[in-house]
Amino acid sequence: MTDLLTTSIFWLSVTLVAFETADVVSRRSGRHPLCHTVLLATPALIALLLATRTAYPVYVNATQALSFLLGPAVVGLAVPVWRQRALIRRQAFPIALALAAGTATAIVSAVGVLWLFGAPRAVLASIAPRAVTTPVAMAMASQLGGAPALAAAIVLFAGVVGAMTATPLFDRMKIRDYRARGFAVGVSAHGIGTARAFQVDSTAGAFAGLGMALNAVATAALLSLLALLI
Amino acid sequence: MIGALALLFVCQLAGEAVLRLAGLPLPGSVIGMLLLFGWLALVEKERPTLEAVSAWLTAHLSIMFVPAAVGLIDQGPALSRYGVGLVVATALSTVLTMAVTALVFRWAARRGEPLQDAGA
Repeated sequence: MTDLLTTSIFWLSVTLVAFETADVVSRRSGRHPLCHTVLLATPALIALLLATRTAYPVYVNATQALSFLLGPAVVGLAVPVWRQRALIRRQAFPIALALAAGTATAIVSAVGVLWLFGAPRAVLASIAPRAVTTPVAMAMASQLGGAPALAAAIVLFAGVVGAMTATPLFDRMKIRDYRARGFAVGVSAHGIGTARAFQVDSTAGAFAGLGMALNAVATAALLSLLALLI
Repeated sequence: MIGALALLFVCQLAGEAVLRLAGLPLPGSVIGMLLLFGWLALVEKERPTLEAVSAWLTAHLSIMFVPAAVGLIDQGPALSRYGVGLVVATALSTVLTMAVTALVFRWAARRGEPLQDAGA
């Protein structure tokens, strides 16, 4: 009976049930950023692994069917960007400039501040892709010698911070242009920020989705370039 | 449906191949995304199935990275040593990046719009 604890069907079932339960709570909260489904499901699953004395590699192995889909899902991010090509062409100048500024600011500020705390390279590599969508961040972190799990946690936290601070921040800065607000929250706070932007305004949402997708490519390119140089 | 999946898989496969040949530290899936973008530009047509499949995958991204996030279970040492730094750096960087991006966008949009109107 206890051998079930190492099977895929056990851990896939548990993961799906935990996720779905967390999703119900998240929906009840009106999709509050602090009640993000992954933020609720992950600690519950960690507790279960500890309770059943399951080693993490066993769990990873058992749930490969889920992680495998990340690759094709990242490839598919090209499709929404392709659909927005008219919008990109129309606003090419502000999009290109804001993207370059945002991508560089995200990497330099995150790595710089953490470096002041004396963190070693593996931890710095995990925070470097903090602004991009989780699957790309995890892939980048492992390419750079960081920890994908740490990158995932950092990215989620960044998303929550971005979603919760965007509206008061832009209001205080008197930035009323929903294209600028949306694009900025997408670049800095990826999918969680984009979800928040769609709640506020549909133009902001479209620009946020664009910012998220473009920043995934820009950050990956910039970090690869840095990795080749350093 | 299978055709759309095949396109996504083949793009990722090609991305992994490019990664190995060129030795770029870029993830294979990200190279695959760029390749798919190139393919869409090269062979322009309506692709309702590909749109549906990629929209479904994107809508369910969250559950796909749960197994990786659970890996935090092994990150206790890094979290207890650099937890404060991680929280401070992430929060500061997130707010600063939003402010800089929005300011640059607004500035560039104001500069760019009169030019664009003249061109159009």
